[in-house]
Amino acid sequence: MKFSIYRFNPDVDKKPYMQDYDVLLEDSDQMLLDALLRIKDLDDSLSLRKSCREGVCGSDSMNINGKNGLACITKLSDLEEPVVLRPMPGLPVIRDLVVDMTQFFENYNSVKPYLVNNDPAPEIERLQSPEDRAKLDGLYECILCGACTTSCPSFWWNPDKFVGPAGLMQAYRFMVDSRDQALDERLENLEEPDRLYRCHNIMNCVEVCPKKLNPNAAIANIKDLKFEQARESKLKDKKKIEIKAI
Amino acid sequence: MLLELLTKRYPGMRAWLTQRLTGLVMAIYSVLALLRFFILQPESYEAWLSFFQPIWWRIASLLFWLALSLHAWLGIRDVFKDYVPNYGLQMVLQKILLALLWIYLAWAGWLMLA
Repeated sequence: MKFSIYRFNPDVDKKPYMQDYDVLLEDSDQMLLDALLRIKDLDDSLSLRKSCREGVCGSDSMNINGKNGLACITKLSDLEEPVVLRPMPGLPVIRDLVVDMTQFFENYNSVKPYLVNNDPAPEIERLQSPEDRAKLDGLYECILCGACTTSCPSFWWNPDKFVGPAGLMQAYRFMVDSRDQALDERLENLEEPDRLYRCHNIMNCVEVCPKKLNPNAAIANIKDLKFEQARESKLKDKKKIEIKAI
Repeated sequence: MLLELLTKRYPGMRAWLTQRLTGLVMAIYSVLALLRFFILQPESYEAWLSFFQPIWWRIASLLFWLALSLHAWLGIRDVFKDYVPNYGLQMVLQKILLALLWIYLAWAGWLMLA
């Protein structure tokens, strides 16, 4: 099977280049990652990240024939030859298919992706009703592979400002968690014009997500919450005025 | 509540919502304009003049231009933010855009109300 793979070793190469490989695969080689490991047997200078090899860790995300995805769950039979493999766009390349994800994780961390609850910790876990728990479905499954965020032009142009689909979906995941107490702070954290509103709904994130999640819907839901927040703050202001009048 | 979201307290939402609301104004005006166009069928210069005669239509047209200017300002400013990484040049382009939009708006105002 034929492959064309992006190569760049900053210690040796002045600029990146594409290297062609023609590899003989075995019957057991079903996924793209199998083929990549086969190539690595032939040329151990090729660098890539991988870990769980079953679409759970998100390490081997890369650009496959122009579309971001995970090598370990991409079937070889679905790919057109030559299979063109590049690192995920929009992030600095460390070497070959390995990118520096610092900016991605900085953006993710900026939304405080953890529960904020100031009540004393109970003896047992903080319970949720099945309905409240169901609100997290389609959100908590994100594996932070970065496929969505690095497919997003808004992130390419403003990586230090726009949080990106993965980070925003996690922001929403904690906003709707019934155990969280920081909804207002979370919404205010995204109010800076470029953090949330750079999303123009082009849906690249939805198209590439290897877990079939919908960051775009989460972003729209954050805007809905914003509306609710404004309504409630107006009600609160009204109450304050009424109290003052009394 | 909508007015609340258009205040400085919500800078991100303000721009986003303004773009949606101005889009709505333009959509409504466009439908009305097409309807009037098909009903009145202004085929001569005089007919075209009388098309813009009613004061309510002039005000609606001015409202359309105002919406268009705001919409264009927000949209093109975003394009500059994306594609012009040099901040100084970005500011110069924004000022040129702003000046142009003000000129167009004043021109529309003059045409509609003079």
